[in-house]
Amino acid sequence: MIPWVTIPAGTYQIGATELIDNPRRTVAIAAFEVSKYEVTNQQFYEFVQATGYLTDAERTHNGRVFEPGLKEFRWLSDRTANWHFPNGRTRGGIQGKMNHPVTCISFRDAEAYCKWAGTRLPTLDEWEVAARGGTDGRYFCDFANLREYANVWGGRDHLKADTSDAFLTTAPVGSFKPNPVGLYDIYGNVFEFCGGKLRSDSRATQRHSRGGSWWCSRNSCCFFNSVDVGTVNVRASFSNQGFRVARTITSSS
Amino acid sequence: MKNATIAVMFLLGATFAMGQDDMAKAGKASEAYRAHREQITKPSYGLAKVETLIKKYKLRDKEDGPLPAAEYKKLTTAERFTYHMIFGEVSSQNCDAMPTFVDEEKHIYAYPPGAFQDERAWSDTQLATIKKSKSAFLPLLKATILKGKIGCNLKQAILELDAVELIPTICEVYKQKRYDHDILSMLMILMKEGKFKPFMDSASYKKLYADETSSYQSFLVANRENQDLIISRAMAYYATKKK
Repeated sequence: MIPWVTIPAGTYQIGATELIDNPRRTVAIAAFEVSKYEVTNQQFYEFVQATGYLTDAERTHNGRVFEPGLKEFRWLSDRTANWHFPNGRTRGGIQGKMNHPVTCISFRDAEAYCKWAGTRLPTLDEWEVAARGGTDGRYFCDFANLREYANVWGGRDHLKADTSDAFLTTAPVGSFKPNPVGLYDIYGNVFEFCGGKLRSDSRATQRHSRGGSWWCSRNSCCFFNSVDVGTVNVRASFSNQGFRVARTITSSS
Repeated sequence: MKNATIAVMFLLGATFAMGQDDMAKAGKASEAYRAHREQITKPSYGLAKVETLIKKYKLRDKEDGPLPAAEYKKLTTAERFTYHMIFGEVSSQNCDAMPTFVDEEKHIYAYPPGAFQDERAWSDTQLATIKKSKSAFLPLLKATILKGKIGCNLKQAILELDAVELIPTICEVYKQKRYDHDILSMLMILMKEGKFKPFMDSASYKKLYADETSSYQSFLVANRENQDLIISRAMAYYATKKK
């Protein structure tokens, strides 16, 4: 069962004045539900068990992984990496981590899960409305307290392991405080795929995700906020990339 | 299953109504500048041949993958240079591509964009090859940038090669138009990586790379004073390396 939070229909203010691709504006949104948590390894396992689905990383061995010691924005290619072994076979698997968000899956894989589960990805606008949870501005919380809400990287860079919290990479979903509407891990843990495109998108392969991840630090991309939008190839599989699901509210929901 | 219905407040900020026209105007200049920032520079060495090979093996349609080894081996050194400069074999990181900011053209950012803005990056093998080929690639790189443009791919190649030797050429190219401020970012990174003390002790370094709040979105104002200061420091750094 997926625990949901309902976002009512309405007009909402989103975006930021300094962002050209996500300018400050008012949007009208139909009511929808969004999952309280990011999709877990357990949930993805159930999908795979039911369908025999093979992810992009399993088929094409295109997984990109992290280990401390890499320069900023540098990831390693690891043919053994996939959702079973998000940072490659030598760095351990998901045993004992079934309540962590699934990672090392692509946008296409997330879409396949959604189709099976009778859900969909939140749109870029829906994600932001849900993430803001009625707040205005870049963050739904005081930045000084952000790490109470988000599993993010605390180190200055990624040259050595971040020991400022208990999680080198992902944390079990719901380990941190929720946002004002009860959504967990909106910032950090994993980047969350969203449906829809940006105005400036010029390539069919571009997809987007939001909210930052365990890898993101204040001194690097600092995408753990309500307004920034990341871009990734439709089939790319990184160990900081996951998703949460949404569904349109209909009379039968 | 618990269904929580939450009322989300509608918050309308005054800035939204006030700044739309100004934003649209500023946006066009910034978008044009961003487009310029994301351009790659294609070396001319065997360009048609290399592009044909990339097309033949549909490398851009694949999420990851190099040119077949047999084909790569048949390329000359200059053609290999072209191949690496125009094609990244793997997908790039999600947040690698920075959002487009209003007034972007008026800023000198801490870091230039990644090598490719088509969600691709150099593979581990490519990075190793580029570094290993410094002596062969450097003259090719110099000849390419002397044509007047240093695309985001060439900037990253210069950084990967720690091509301090090219600093005078780079400065001259910048001074021709003083438009591509990422060239200045690149010069600062060269100084940072070289731990050049006059730069490491500067307010610029502190603001861009060492403050508690400095990030990939940190910037200096791109005024003439800052431009000249970065160039003079870079030339001083070059002089220490030449000795």
